[in-house]
Amino acid sequence: MNRPMSTNRAPASRAASPSPLTLLVRVNMRQAWRRLLAIRQQSRLLTALIVLFLGGYAALAFAIFYRGLRFAGSFPGLGAVLIERMLFLLFAFLFGLLLLSNLIISYTNLFRNRETSFLLPLPIPWESIFRWKFIESALLASWAFLFLIAPMLAAYGLTQGVPWHFYAATLGFLGLFIMLPAVAGSWLAVNLARFLDRRAFQVAALLVASGLLAATAIWLKTDPITDEQLETRVLVVLDRLLSRTHFALFPLLPSYWLSAGVQQWAEGALGAALFFALVLLSHVLFFGTLALTRMGNAFYAAVSMVQSRGSAMNRWPWFRAWQQRLDRRARSTGWLERALAWARPIPVDVRAVLLKDMRLFWRDTTQWGQTLVLFGLLGVYFLNLRHFSQQLTSPFWIFLVSYLNLGACALNLATLTTRFVYPQFSLEGKRLWIVGMAPLGLRRLVLAKFALASTLSLALTAGLIILSCRMLMLAWDRTLYLTVAITVMTFTLNGLAVGLGALYPNFKEDNPSKIVSGFGGTFCLVVSFLYIVASVVLLALGSPWTRYGEPGGSGLMPSWAGFVLLSAGVGWLPLRLSLRRISQFEM
Amino acid sequence: MIELIHLVKRFGDLVAVNAVDLVVPRGQFFALLGPNAAGKTTTVKILAGLMKPTSGAARIAGYDVQEQPLEARRRIAYVPDFPFLYDKLTPWEFIRFTGQLFQMSEERIASGARELVARFNLEPYLAKPIEALSHGTRQRIVIVSALLHAPDVVVLDEPMVGLDPHHARVLKDILKERALAGMTVFVSTHQLSVAEEMADRIGIMHEGRLIALGTRDELRRQSGTSGALEQTFLTLTRQEANLREEPPSSSAAPAAQSE
Repeated sequence: MNRPMSTNRAPASRAASPSPLTLLVRVNMRQAWRRLLAIRQQSRLLTALIVLFLGGYAALAFAIFYRGLRFAGSFPGLGAVLIERMLFLLFAFLFGLLLLSNLIISYTNLFRNRETSFLLPLPIPWESIFRWKFIESALLASWAFLFLIAPMLAAYGLTQGVPWHFYAATLGFLGLFIMLPAVAGSWLAVNLARFLDRRAFQVAALLVASGLLAATAIWLKTDPITDEQLETRVLVVLDRLLSRTHFALFPLLPSYWLSAGVQQWAEGALGAALFFALVLLSHVLFFGTLALTRMGNAFYAAVSMVQSRGSAMNRWPWFRAWQQRLDRRARSTGWLERALAWARPIPVDVRAVLLKDMRLFWRDTTQWGQTLVLFGLLGVYFLNLRHFSQQLTSPFWIFLVSYLNLGACALNLATLTTRFVYPQFSLEGKRLWIVGMAPLGLRRLVLAKFALASTLSLALTAGLIILSCRMLMLAWDRTLYLTVAITVMTFTLNGLAVGLGALYPNFKEDNPSKIVSGFGGTFCLVVSFLYIVASVVLLALGSPWTRYGEPGGSGLMPSWAGFVLLSAGVGWLPLRLSLRRISQFEM
Repeated sequence: MIELIHLVKRFGDLVAVNAVDLVVPRGQFFALLGPNAAGKTTTVKILAGLMKPTSGAARIAGYDVQEQPLEARRRIAYVPDFPFLYDKLTPWEFIRFTGQLFQMSEERIASGARELVARFNLEPYLAKPIEALSHGTRQRIVIVSALLHAPDVVVLDEPMVGLDPHHARVLKDILKERALAGMTVFVSTHQLSVAEEMADRIGIMHEGRLIALGTRDELRRQSGTSGALEQTFLTLTRQEANLREEPPSSSAAPAAQSE
């Protein structure tokens, strides 16, 4: 019974066949290439927009880094130290971000990907499937990193007057560097999948994030620095600042090897730079070999575990009791529903849509997680402004920072509206048989989504702007001015996202991130960014207060007229056009 | 051939597959039936190597799916209920890619695909991107790719979904022909008509256990019914559910006998 049967396989043909990994790379490259061509064929405008946006970012980032590095380098005696520390800090933080990015992308790619399920029953060794997914995840997680730092490295090279080979060597350093977080990220992803289920992972992630936040708050707690200290004890202040960033110089950090290697090469110390290159190479070879040759079985065990798991926490009686309690309460009215029931002027069907959207937002960790991270970081930054209030005595800086904060808050919101509000209509389109056929109607559905998204995001943006004004000790009239401005911008950005989402629907896709990456989503992001830049400039130019904080600025009326017109064009117009289109929509 | 040896799969507290023993000999057309959440898809996934059993073993053509995975997977073809396809490839590129993964020579791929492509009427679509094709056409491409390497065992999960009556007939004919030539066919389905018309032997799963196994006539006798398979299926699953509700002392569920 156990003896293998004879089969009609043709062993002779095997030698000529390419390896499974080669086949997978080839077929996926063909797919990627056709996707690129499809973008160009679908819309020249989209291609032009993407190229313009990428080129614009590269040019602007280069200009800012170049000027910033020149400025920092102009401090006699301190410039070189500051630039060196900034370089080490930047790569240390990027290492952390790359690790996180690799972990998330590897997890999705290895365990939530339909290609993986397709490949597993085929005669491909688990190692080969893991290798391909590792390569794919590393590329997906790292390309943005390379794109982001390229202008900075070009500016660094130019300010340091480096020879041409610096750029080639840096590329080599970066190529080695990105492998380490890729290996660590994939290893972590496999082990998380193997030992933690979704709920246990969420609990662990929350605990780790809280721990990190607490550690950061204790470690990086800002000390107030007086003007007197700044004038008389510059070196002491600087030393305090540098001591807080000393962790970036920990010699066992891969970012240290990269920073030191790049810096030594720029300074012409090629021997020392080569040493760091070899340190990187040896680690990449060691851990890379382990990952590519020893992870296959662990990967398969994790895949099987992910598909098999009920809940890892089911073994604890308290958890089972809690689940049973939740099950019993499943049919009762939740607190959210009870709270919404108070809003009697809102019709019942609209309330049902609002309740459904709020529940989906709450149950989708990605949505509230990203919102929390983006606005949480901004909130922490605003709160920290109080430590600089003694340096921010100059009315000019207060003026400037208040408008920069307005722009930062709006940019955060634009990221979220494009990512989460824009795809709403397309996703709803899949369920047109429910909502589209109901007496509610698509028009009211779109308006309900606009109202809900605007109200929820306004609570965040207005709250943050009031916090920013409070930290900057602005008077109530200036606080009101900026709050009204962010309110208009919030409604505009939501109107744009909802409107374009309905004008450019994609009913084929289930994945919101793929819906966003189409023409409408890219267009929405670019228009949002341009609108924010134009609005902040208009509002600052037409401010009723001068740059020195005194009343009497000129141009309030024309600038507000421009701002309102711009907001109407960017927010109201797409929403109106979408409502008109929806009325002619054929299901 | 397929062997399931005392197969158990647990998801936490839930026993999805409970001590299933089954042998499907070479050249047999076997249909696995069962109500929702009976454990059919879990059994199929274990057979396809997508998940490990908690205990027991699954063998394909004598090779243990877990211990000798590559040998087992060279001999099996798996058609899932929601198959994955590379959307930007053309059907021909996809078929060729699958053949290459099975290390088939270009000549073998071309000759193997020729007949299948013709019978499933895929010729007009071979150069079009897969993303532009209908659900039924995509399903036909998956079936052609799966059968291309002439597997010893083919495992299909709801294979008729999306196929029009003509192509459903073509698939039934091909499966029957291949079964006669020695290929073992294992179909998991809710469509009782497929089992009734095609299967040499039928297994019925309920709450993770294989509660009945045999030919249509054997199942009819076991259930004490006559007529369509639907009646047999409903009676057997209802009997099993009733037995479960009775006190343990009186429960004596008939154990399914393997071949």
